[in-house]
Amino acid sequence: MSVVDDMAFWIFALTAIVSGWRVFCTDSMVRASFLLLASFIAVGLIMLLLGAPYLGIATIFMMGVEMMVMALFMVMYMMNPAGLNPMVMVHQHRFSIGAGIAAFVGLAAVMLVTDFADNPVASDARVVTDLGKELLGDSMLIFETAGVTLLATMVASVILSSRSGRFGPADEGSVPPPLEPGGQPAGRLPEEGGGHGHHHH
Amino acid sequence: MTPIVLTMTWVAFLLGMAWYIAVLDGLWAAAREGRQPRAPLANPLYRCATILRQQSNLTEAPDLLNWRLAPALYAGLAGTGVALVPFSSASVLADLEVGIVWWGAVEALTVVVVFLHGWSANSQLGLIGAYRYVAIGLPVMLISMFVLIAAALPAESLAVPKIIESQHELWNVIRQPLGLPLFLLLGLSLSFRGPFNYADSADLADGTASEISGAARLVWEFARLAMLVATAAMAATVFLGGYLGPVLPGPLWLLLKTAVVLVLLVALSHLFARISPSRMLTLIWIVLMPLAFIDLVWAGLVAL
Amino acid sequence: MTLTAILLVAAALIGIGLYGTLSQQSFVMLMMGLELMLNGVLLAAVGFWSLAAGGVPTGQLLAIVTMAVMAVEMSVGFALITAVYRNRQADMTESLGTMKH
Repeated sequence: MSVVDDMAFWIFALTAIVSGWRVFCTDSMVRASFLLLASFIAVGLIMLLLGAPYLGIATIFMMGVEMMVMALFMVMYMMNPAGLNPMVMVHQHRFSIGAGIAAFVGLAAVMLVTDFADNPVASDARVVTDLGKELLGDSMLIFETAGVTLLATMVASVILSSRSGRFGPADEGSVPPPLEPGGQPAGRLPEEGGGHGHHHH
Repeated sequence: MTPIVLTMTWVAFLLGMAWYIAVLDGLWAAAREGRQPRAPLANPLYRCATILRQQSNLTEAPDLLNWRLAPALYAGLAGTGVALVPFSSASVLADLEVGIVWWGAVEALTVVVVFLHGWSANSQLGLIGAYRYVAIGLPVMLISMFVLIAAALPAESLAVPKIIESQHELWNVIRQPLGLPLFLLLGLSLSFRGPFNYADSADLADGTASEISGAARLVWEFARLAMLVATAAMAATVFLGGYLGPVLPGPLWLLLKTAVVLVLLVALSHLFARISPSRMLTLIWIVLMPLAFIDLVWAGLVAL
Repeated sequence: MTLTAILLVAAALIGIGLYGTLSQQSFVMLMMGLELMLNGVLLAAVGFWSLAAGGVPTGQLLAIVTMAVMAVEMSVGFALITAVYRNRQADMTESLGTMKH
């Protein structure tokens, strides 16, 4: 492994970790999505260094689309759309920090005491061809199962997110949550039986 | 070609072709208005100078980092797209084993960059442009990926040079007739031109670019042209056999084919009107997406 | 770039992701935590494949399956968020309290 590769690895690794951490520190939801994208791109580039061109670039490609969609949903559903007001939306904060650190320390400890095999991938291995042969050869059942699972996911997503359901419209009688616990619903209240009869659609 | 010559060819190709599109656009506009074009060849350069002399603009509380970076990133993505295109059998700047997947990443990141550009200016029109663009840009990108996978099928490889090699007997445009037309739509969408100009259209006072001027605007406009060059070069390579051709040397063939595709793209962008985003979405998902599936099945059956 | 270094980075990503998943109130932010954990898993899988397993094709397959899991997580997650939003007009984990007693 050359020095350049090593340096590139540490730069990408730092980028992945720092931007992953900043995801949960930024006020803006759009920034959060794209910081996560930066983390994924850095990991994709590390995969390229590890000799997995297809997986690395496919990660960048897939995550580009996913995080774009993520940003759209963020803006759609957040109370603070553009994320220009400072806000902290966390609960059980101390516990979460503890759990995160515990997970890291635990995994790192397991990793440091385990003796892993040292068997690097051959530099002339045709990894992309291998992957293709594996996907549509011996592991075809697994690959096809993943495909069918994705199809089922699409159907389930449409059912879950559709407005009309078996028991009437999903948003019937829904009110915004209160700004303080037990308070009045936030935002504009629906007009109670107004006599105007104007309905703007 | 040595690496230095190759890099210079790459730069010259990008700049030259971007200038060529600007000239075509100018000629088309003059013809439509029925006037004599004034200095059609030098006009793009005058426009560059005019933009550069403008004062650069600043909005209230923009996301300055992303706002400044987006035009450069957009141009950079176009550049990496062109780098995938082989000028001849032995000269390609980015000889990737998975070139087609990398092109997909370029498309996906372009959508991200255009959204960032519109969002980070912190202005309404920019944000509306960015939103509309994502809604249209993502499905168009999916279509182009299906079409490209179909083109990779007969080559049995994801590498762009291999795809060219597979077209020695028959170009992909004949083998898979649906591929090229669908791919051209991607070109219009990636550089938001004509019927696919949902990001920077006139009804939004230039949309995502409504708040920029000066150097940032110059880079942005160049990047739009460069992205069109990248798609045209890719179309010429994947569907029209790239550098393959009799008598003339390979690079010249690529140049000619790209130039022809660009004429087509410019004509498409001026001839067709833009429809409302919701109707365009219906058109994409109901008509164009199934066409891309048919293309893929077709390619599979032929490859059998 | 040793396997230890790669696994250390992966563990850090998983740790941060777990923190995000447990601490965020917004469903979308919570999903970002999950994605970050899967990011770590992906890196660890490719690291093992490249440096300890001698490049067996099934190692790459594991990474592909992880990506499929990500896609499923995103899709079902957003569908659930949409369903919750229709019902509660909020994208907050606290808005779902009907199963509490």
